[in-house]
Amino acid sequence: MFDSVTFKALHSALDGLAARQRAVANNIANVNTPGYQAQRVSFEDALAESVRRGDGVVVARTQLSLEPTRQDGSNVNLDTETLSNIDTVLRYQFATQAMDGQFSSIRTALRWS
Amino acid sequence: MTFDAIGIAGSALSVNRKWLDAISDNIANVNTARRTDEAAFQARYLQVEAGEGTSGVYVKADLYGSAEGRLSYQPGHPLADENGMVRMPDIDMAEQMSALIIAQRAYAANAAVVDRARETYLAGLQIGRS
Repeated sequence: MFDSVTFKALHSALDGLAARQRAVANNIANVNTPGYQAQRVSFEDALAESVRRGDGVVVARTQLSLEPTRQDGSNVNLDTETLSNIDTVLRYQFATQAMDGQFSSIRTALRWS
Repeated sequence: MTFDAIGIAGSALSVNRKWLDAISDNIANVNTARRTDEAAFQARYLQVEAGEGTSGVYVKADLYGSAEGRLSYQPGHPLADENGMVRMPDIDMAEQMSALIIAQRAYAANAAVVDRARETYLAGLQIGRS
């Protein structure tokens, strides 16, 4: 029940989104740090592939952004980071609601007697 | 940790606050005259560095501007030497003002990140509630 693909996939998604939220916070914190390279967290493609295989467990990968840098050697884009930040909050809420739905079905099943 | 985002944005808030402090100190002393045999008031700059991994940002060192400053002819000044010169700090007001705006905007951007990290955190607390 708790090791179903859905549970594992939602768990991986929540972990990945939380990691992205950290990376974005770190990028915005270093928006004026000379030489700082933005971090990018990816897990969606790997997660889709893993779910297709019937597994659902992935670990988010963090890579450095290869976008062109400004004159001070930093490549943080405040607008893209802000959008990614908002997007991640919404996706996280989406995933928590789905997780909540899973638990709520289990609770319904438990009540049935 | 899962919810470090608040702390990461917090480290940036404190770096930007320190930067704002340094800038306002520099602007406040833009007309601070010294004797010609003394060092001029030196503008303070922050050297910042990204923390290891996702641990935010921190101030690595304080750097100081020119101690030579520039000499100014003010014969009526009580600190003037026999040639009527005093030593003024070499602070570029336009540079300080633009740095002030950059620091202020960065502070606001990070304050917004704190808000959104909190929203994420609250969503996490809702699991298993309904």
